[in-house]
Amino acid sequence: MRRAAADPARAPVYTRGVTPPASGLRPLRGLRLDLTSRTSSVEQLPVEVARLWLGGRGLGAYIALRERLWEVDPLAPQNVLVVAPGPLTGTGAPASARYSMTSRSPLTGTVFDGNSGGNFGNALRRLGWDYLVIAGALDEPGYVTIGLDGAGRVVDDSAGEAATAGPAEPLAGPGGVGVRSAAGLWGLDVPATLGRLGELHARSESAVIGPAGERGVLFASIVNNRGRSIGRGGLGAVLGSKRVKALVLDGHGTRKPPVADPERLEFIVYEATKLLKANPITSTALPEFGTSVLVNVLDQAGALPTRNHRESRFEGAAAISGEALKRDHLKSRTACRGCMIGCARRTEAGGESGEGPEYETIWAFGAQCGVSDLTAVVRANYACNRAGMDTITMGSTIACAMELTELGLLPDGPRFGDSRAIIALAEATAAGEGLGAELGLGSARFAALRGRPDLSMSVKRMEMPAYDPRGMKAQGLSYATSNRGGCHLRANMLGPEILGVPKMVDRFATLGKAGLLINLQNLNAVLDSLSVCKFTAFAMKEDYYARQLTAVWGEQVEPQELLLLGERIWNAERLFNLAAGFTRADDTLPPRLLAEPVAAGPSAGQVVDLPPMLDEYYISRGWDDDGVPTAAKLERLGLAGTAAAAGVAPGAPRRSETAASPAGAAAATPEAAAK
Amino acid sequence: MSSAVLEQFRQIGRDLFVAGVISSHGGNLSVRMGDRIVITRRGSMLARLEERDVIETGLDENDANVMLASTEINVHRAIYQGTSAQAIVHAHPPYAIARSLMCDEIVPIDSEGSYLLHKVPVVHTELTAGSKEVAELLPRWLKEYDIVMLRGHGPFAIGHLLEEAYQLTSVLEMSCRIMTIADGFSEQIKEYRKGSERYETW
Repeated sequence: MRRAAADPARAPVYTRGVTPPASGLRPLRGLRLDLTSRTSSVEQLPVEVARLWLGGRGLGAYIALRERLWEVDPLAPQNVLVVAPGPLTGTGAPASARYSMTSRSPLTGTVFDGNSGGNFGNALRRLGWDYLVIAGALDEPGYVTIGLDGAGRVVDDSAGEAATAGPAEPLAGPGGVGVRSAAGLWGLDVPATLGRLGELHARSESAVIGPAGERGVLFASIVNNRGRSIGRGGLGAVLGSKRVKALVLDGHGTRKPPVADPERLEFIVYEATKLLKANPITSTALPEFGTSVLVNVLDQAGALPTRNHRESRFEGAAAISGEALKRDHLKSRTACRGCMIGCARRTEAGGESGEGPEYETIWAFGAQCGVSDLTAVVRANYACNRAGMDTITMGSTIACAMELTELGLLPDGPRFGDSRAIIALAEATAAGEGLGAELGLGSARFAALRGRPDLSMSVKRMEMPAYDPRGMKAQGLSYATSNRGGCHLRANMLGPEILGVPKMVDRFATLGKAGLLINLQNLNAVLDSLSVCKFTAFAMKEDYYARQLTAVWGEQVEPQELLLLGERIWNAERLFNLAAGFTRADDTLPPRLLAEPVAAGPSAGQVVDLPPMLDEYYISRGWDDDGVPTAAKLERLGLAGTAAAAGVAPGAPRRSETAASPAGAAAATPEAAAK
Repeated sequence: MSSAVLEQFRQIGRDLFVAGVISSHGGNLSVRMGDRIVITRRGSMLARLEERDVIETGLDENDANVMLASTEINVHRAIYQGTSAQAIVHAHPPYAIARSLMCDEIVPIDSEGSYLLHKVPVVHTELTAGSKEVAELLPRWLKEYDIVMLRGHGPFAIGHLLEEAYQLTSVLEMSCRIMTIADGFSEQIKEYRKGSERYETW
């Protein structure tokens, strides 16, 4: 069993006295739905695509480039929505019950993927599909059902017909796809829609939009399993523009996701679980308090943005903290299927009950709006959940309105601290009424309409979440360089700058952290593509994910190889955005964070000195001064053809790059597949 | 080079010496800064690093500063070129070196070592210090393991930060000390770790 360690010729792990398993690495099998022509077709992507783009977010980026989505209006029928779980989804890997949706975002104009837990991704894999591509648009509101593969059978036809306006109309083609009228569903909120579909289609799994998605609110979400959301970038509006109220999967699928070596996977999962149990973040803090455990932590660090980022500490933090949520509102804890962390919770407030709120939501409606009434915050969260809207953007857009009011630029508008306003404006936004019609555009467009674009706390038109970059400098660089706009999920520097994961760094230091950020960005691209929950990374390093994938595929995957895959995905997304017209000038932060020092608290006097950080980041990425990947970088990532197809001209290769070129990379590029 | 980077070198260098895992002039440290590498000076004392002892040069291309760089500069460069490491610690821990003379892999028996390392491969080359052979060999192993032992010489550990790589070095040496102590009892170890028989396949 022992490896001949001194032999530099590396042997695959499965030749060391272990019987090689049947390969779990297979061509990707996709189902394409053209809603305009009402047809379906089966796609098959070669093994090399699975090897280089994994699934989930990576596969979404691959298809977005293949389909040249940077050329389309996000809300036009020509835009497509990719639904993709990853190779670890449903395998028993820790916190792997996840899937992604990818499209061009109507909020940001960038390529955009959202990631959600629950059972929807598992159900898709059990139907035998590695991904869906949803193109075109329906003439009338409807919902799509996808039944058992190949048989053309749709579960519970009779119930669907009896309860909706008409019978299922099968799409011509494979996949057991039907379109049904949504006459009985259009206009219903998210819980009602999910509940109704659950009644109509026994053992089904649904992803739905609410009224916000129907109306085209630019930050509308897609929701499955009550409160698991594809949030942030408005993919709910994309689905709404296609007049699709819901995607309903038959839950009877019997195709188990392939695992080449279940015994080895069990061993790795056991070892991974030991780490998750030993880490106080994943074993204690998140299960007990949920993500809202961070309110007091960030406040004490002077990094809790307050009143539209005018301050970085909130005097009402204790009242809206995770401890207060647990004490006053917690009803029960919940978890995605197979997750031992269990960060989700059901709560009750003001006679209502529902999912959440998460830390980001508490911050958005709380500190960012100057509201310390936790009951109101929880109810504003419920309003967004009902409507199917992103809570970060909603709260931060209301905060923008509050500042405009304070400055006398929004007559009769809401003021900081107005707890009634946060609920009323969330409801008005969902309904498209009054000021809500403008708020539904997000803060960047809203603030521009009101003549003060600088008051939008957003990057690439997406609102930044709950970490003030003036108290966490690399978090500012993370926001500025995020491929999908102001976002903490691309790479949250909370770990190294606040929590000491993997190790504590000086949070106020400007330089020396680009490499750390890049590694985290690359790793998160991998996690979103596998698809597994990022919270596992509080306890695990990349080698654990590589070992899990090795067991699933039956082929050795080295941790460094995995990070290289993440780097390729990141650069592919960058190429999409460059093709869409984004430049270095978009890799920035709101002027307030660059020029207005924090007035008081632990971060007093701090601003973000972004240009040198951006320079260091570009050099470390292997990009030129304009943020374009150099020819050498593209060549080594196998993306030169992709860049050419996207019309992105890299600068001269002034710097040497170091990433190894993977064999076969060029053969699996999107444009090669298109040919 | 920023003062923050120099301070990291100073702290880790001092700790390595105090921990007894380097001799007075042994070991070397580096971090990657984009297309540059910052590495300890050839012949420097890691416990007493001054600004002149930390050298910046090209990651891929030489410049005049390469004359001052550690003798292991080419190994460090090769590791950065072949992996996503941001920091490298190379030390000469005595218990780990001694054990590397007797086995092809080091499988810790203590809890901390088991959690963090599972196992550490031991590799060897004819020329062990700064050789082309080492530069070719180590990056291949470090793609899969964050710390690899060069037989008779010492471990190379990688991380996103110097502190991470130092931690792995420290844990390896502690594990080897514990194994040496346990060996002295000549008793059968009572296994307490479920699945430990599979650590060799890690």
